[in-house]
Amino acid sequence: MGGDVLDARGVTVGIVDDHPVVIEGVQTWLAADPRIRVAHVAETVEAVPDGLDVLILDLNLGGRLVLDELARLAARAQRVITFSQFTEREMVLAALEAGACEFVAKNEGRAHLVAAVLCAAGDRPYVTPTAAGVLASYPRPDSVALSERERTALLWWFQSMSKASVARRMGVSAHTVEMYIRRARVKYAQAGRPAPTKADMLARAIEDGLVRADEITGYSSAASAPR
Amino acid sequence: MAGDEGERLVAARYARAVAVTVVGIVAVWHCGYDLAIVARSWRVYEPKAAVAVAWLVLAAVQAVGAVLLFRSALGRRTARALAVGAQLAGALAIVAYPPGTTISDVAWASNTVGWTGVMLLLGRPLRELAVFLAADIGIMAARMAADGDLGQASLSRLFTVAYTMAGIQLMFAWLGRRLRETAGQVTGIAERRAADRARAAAEEAVHAERRRRYDYLHARVAPLLGGLAERRLDPRDAAVRRVLAIEAARLRRLFAETDDTPHPLLHELRACADVAERRGVAVTLASYGDLPPIPMADRRALAEGPLLVLSAAATWARVTVVAGGGDVVVSVFADADAELCADGGGPLPPSVVHDREEDRLWVETCWTRAGSP
Repeated sequence: MGGDVLDARGVTVGIVDDHPVVIEGVQTWLAADPRIRVAHVAETVEAVPDGLDVLILDLNLGGRLVLDELARLAARAQRVITFSQFTEREMVLAALEAGACEFVAKNEGRAHLVAAVLCAAGDRPYVTPTAAGVLASYPRPDSVALSERERTALLWWFQSMSKASVARRMGVSAHTVEMYIRRARVKYAQAGRPAPTKADMLARAIEDGLVRADEITGYSSAASAPR
Repeated sequence: MAGDEGERLVAARYARAVAVTVVGIVAVWHCGYDLAIVARSWRVYEPKAAVAVAWLVLAAVQAVGAVLLFRSALGRRTARALAVGAQLAGALAIVAYPPGTTISDVAWASNTVGWTGVMLLLGRPLRELAVFLAADIGIMAARMAADGDLGQASLSRLFTVAYTMAGIQLMFAWLGRRLRETAGQVTGIAERRAADRARAAAEEAVHAERRRRYDYLHARVAPLLGGLAERRLDPRDAAVRRVLAIEAARLRRLFAETDDTPHPLLHELRACADVAERRGVAVTLASYGDLPPIPMADRRALAEGPLLVLSAAATWARVTVVAGGGDVVVSVFADADAELCADGGGPLPPSVVHDREEDRLWVETCWTRAGSP
């Protein structure tokens, strides 16, 4: 899903995790997809090179949360997917607000990680069931106004982990469910401090016709941030 | 303890009733009887000024004493000082009697002084009143001795007057005290009885809860165990196994209900999941949002869907709880048969979806806090 048009060299990915076994596991997962090429692996966040399409970042490195480093990477337009075993609501929201493109829980498996990488590379949103549960629950930031159907889609995606089942239950197509979920995620991109990664996601969402510019409060200020 | 406070309040109410009575007696006696005697016998007293001063001083002592008594401001020293004042006024009045009339129809002071003492020393130990009354009688005896009037007849009259006057006054003071104490004790007993009744009611409630669980076991579990023991039910039968799984989960939840945990709903759902996991079902339990306090009956209704679906799940199940905006939504999604949820009625009707294409059973129950839109 998403990331359909990719250049010939594929998506370059970096992996930062303090457990070598996780790095190797993620490499193996990604190696099975020919569109993805792992270009950087490290146990710390210091030497992340420029030019990576997507960075998969463990939120907890050596017993320390790296939310500030995450925000710094997002500020230099590095797309980051946070990959963590900590799935508390506050943690997920903090990561998304700091500028992470997506939050993938370590127990969510290969399919979600690969889909998240491909979507992030194309500046398109992807919402894992864990993130959907967080986004569907209250309280949410005042700036985020979800429609009833968007919230229902998020809630049922969290409950079932099957978009096909959600579509049948809502009586709409799977594509429409996907739209609801992505629209909800895009609305969250306005929350917290602005970041180029968020602006790119909003710009792409408008380009794709997912949302209209006037639905996004504060869009112009976020979009005017340097790429 | 609250009982002591109640005892004090009731005792104070009775003390006030006694005070009102004795002030009434003193006022009626001094302004009625004394004034009448003094007026009628005015010409025999000498010096007359002494009688007038004595009457006025006694009236003043009584007025000050009564006001302080009603304001609960009659301290030990004030009471004693006023008592001495009353005795001196009494002595002054007796000095002005004509010789040989200390006990006669012109004598007025001793009885009034006695009642004044009762009033002033209401809050003091009884022995202080006894000393006061002894002084009162002593002053009469002194005047009689000064008159040389201590013959047998006079002495026996003195004893009779002392006995009737001081005896009644002492008796009044003693009864007032007893009344106050008894009232306090009765209140204490009543409060202890009320506490006993409250404890008994609490014990009864605990007993009723045990009874409820026992009745449940008796009605739903005992027939199953009996059926298994008598070989009427075959554990190899899938339907029997399913009913057993449901009842096992209900039992676990029943026991979890009375545990004291910060999130009882999650605790009860965890209990249901435990039973399924023991059957080899992989259960995920995920929860987001802050759970509000939910009444037990509603928690039971919320957990019913997961309980039934988990008992029927073949290999995996996902239980989720999302709280927020006054709502709590509990959902279970599993590879389970559909016919199970027929009896899913009750206070919170669940929405049941059987996704035949993927052969999944999805049951969602929503609770809304009373008063929320």
